[in-house]
Amino acid sequence: MSFVMWSLVIAVLTALTCSLCGVFLVVKRESLVSEALSHAVLPGIVVAFLIFEDRSSPWLIISAGLMGLLMVWLVQLIKQTRLVEGEAALGIVFSALFSVGIILASLKLGQTHFHAECIIDGNLASAALKSARWGDTDLGPKAFYVMLATFMLAISFIAAFYKELKLTMFDDTLAKGLGLRPELMHFAWLGIVSITTVAAFEIAGSILVVALMIAPPAAAFLLTRRISAMLITSCLIGVVCSIAGFYVGYFLEVAPTGPIASITGFAFLLAVAFSPRQGLLAKHRNRGKLRKELFQQLLLARLTEPKASNAQNSVFTVEQVFPNVAWTRQQFQQALANCRQQRWIEGDEEKVSVTETGRIALQQMLANN
Amino acid sequence: MFELFNDYTFRTVLMGTVGVGTVSGALGCFAYLRKQSLIGDVVAHSSLLGIMLFFLASYLITGQGSKSLFVLIPGAIVAGTTALILTRAIVGRTKLKNDAGLGVMLAIFFGTGIFLLRVVERTDPPIPGRRGLEDYLFGMAAAMTQDDLWMIGALGLASILVMLLFWKEFKVFTFDPQFSQSIGFPAKTLDTLLMIILVVGIVIGIQSVGVVLMIALLITPASAARQWTHRLSRMVILSAMLGGLCGATGSIVSALYSGIPTGPVIVLAATLIFLVSLVFAPRRGVLARWLKRKHETKQAKLERRAV
Repeated sequence: MSFVMWSLVIAVLTALTCSLCGVFLVVKRESLVSEALSHAVLPGIVVAFLIFEDRSSPWLIISAGLMGLLMVWLVQLIKQTRLVEGEAALGIVFSALFSVGIILASLKLGQTHFHAECIIDGNLASAALKSARWGDTDLGPKAFYVMLATFMLAISFIAAFYKELKLTMFDDTLAKGLGLRPELMHFAWLGIVSITTVAAFEIAGSILVVALMIAPPAAAFLLTRRISAMLITSCLIGVVCSIAGFYVGYFLEVAPTGPIASITGFAFLLAVAFSPRQGLLAKHRNRGKLRKELFQQLLLARLTEPKASNAQNSVFTVEQVFPNVAWTRQQFQQALANCRQQRWIEGDEEKVSVTETGRIALQQMLANN
Repeated sequence: MFELFNDYTFRTVLMGTVGVGTVSGALGCFAYLRKQSLIGDVVAHSSLLGIMLFFLASYLITGQGSKSLFVLIPGAIVAGTTALILTRAIVGRTKLKNDAGLGVMLAIFFGTGIFLLRVVERTDPPIPGRRGLEDYLFGMAAAMTQDDLWMIGALGLASILVMLLFWKEFKVFTFDPQFSQSIGFPAKTLDTLLMIILVVGIVIGIQSVGVVLMIALLITPASAARQWTHRLSRMVILSAMLGGLCGATGSIVSALYSGIPTGPVIVLAATLIFLVSLVFAPRRGVLARWLKRKHETKQAKLERRAV
């Protein structure tokens, strides 16, 4: 395969893994854990780098992953004391770990920008260039195998503990009651997230990892109602956005991480606007429909009210009805037209009366309320 | 050590970090108590986009990119406030919760900010004044000038004044939003006002500690102060003092040992104070609770023996 194809495959695989992991974070309302992890792993990376002096050593991933677990453990420890409100524990722990990392890096490596280069930006191109070799044969980029292994790990964990994970995320009291250990499950899950975050760094950089772990799952959250559907939708969004962003970057000749991050953000905004059930547009339309129905109902009620009329056979003149409703004339005309269209009322421009279908429709509407 | 205090640059940096620590320590209490600790992180990250846009605007207008805080801080305030307003809009209109809304805004704003930063760094011909922009990521307190100090001082003082002016309203609103609404306080206005002074408190610190660590300056002193008192007034004063102390520690340590950056030292000092508070706080601290439990077990044993 060509270099470009390998880069694309790696980008897509990274997006797939991150979007998959992010689903449970969004459901559990702790999306910002990914952001915290992306900073907290720095001391792990620096220490491993100081020991092995090799930026692509797998020990970097392992040591950073352990640092992520340390962060998760410390946060749980502080939360257990119940002395700290809300998410403060997360902020305190990750910033402290990050500070340790920066100080270590600036003391031992003489530069604070160690982090900026190797973590915030990531480098897809150089990741795709480093080949894994078996004897003399070139097996393709190392990063591909790292991401593949991470993806397999994440998906097999989800497959193996799907039910338990779901229970833990939605109702950990019930999970506890059923004899599961939700805190252990949660810890194990965040371990997987931590490994994914670190593995994806070299390729995508921390900002893209955070974007991929939050935006596609959040969009999927708005589009679906079942966790299984949400997992699939999130992965699909992640894959489509990464391919689109990759080619935008390719044609503009800039690193693809920026465009991919922006496109996932854009996809999320699209979901907010156009989600069929919960999007802003759907809600707006729904409100309009409800308002229309309410006006029709009020008009019918007005026309069927026995005492209100001194008209015979419940035939009203339009001018009789209008002053009794506090609507604008336009709203009134609209309601009249709508009801006429449904054949709920009959009559001409001057006089109106309710038909039999109109009476039945009104009764139904009232029963529904 | 005393020579240090005669050094002009050092005095500027010291006053800057102490000021920033005090202001964010005081305002951080409100973020902490409203369980919005993580907005510090999102505002700080998002402000990078504003900084880059205003830097570029100053370049387009004057032909010289300006790194003066008079130009960059307004940009940071605009971007930070926009990110929070958009988050509020998304959380209010969809079933997504605060964490996801904040996360997506962080990704969009910070992602675009980094993208612009990289573009500016690589343009050819180079944009004059672009060097040192990257310092906003991790902070560079030593780059603080006298002008920057004025800007930080004025904005910090203004936000503290607003806090004191609306003290009663903010207090009721923070602890019991429903009640505050029922006695006629305008909830949305108060929310927005508190949000704006928080954003101001956050962005004035970015130059010293950087976008990543700003959250610690906002919430770590507040979390520590919370352990020692149950009164808001005392908590705010204590938190402000702790913040100022940490700021001073950071400046002094990084001035004495060259090569150690200021921001991380400030954060580690705050973390240390936080841990000490967590363990040793009277009555509710970890140690106090442990001693109490031990005492109770002993009492129970004695009683059992007596029976």
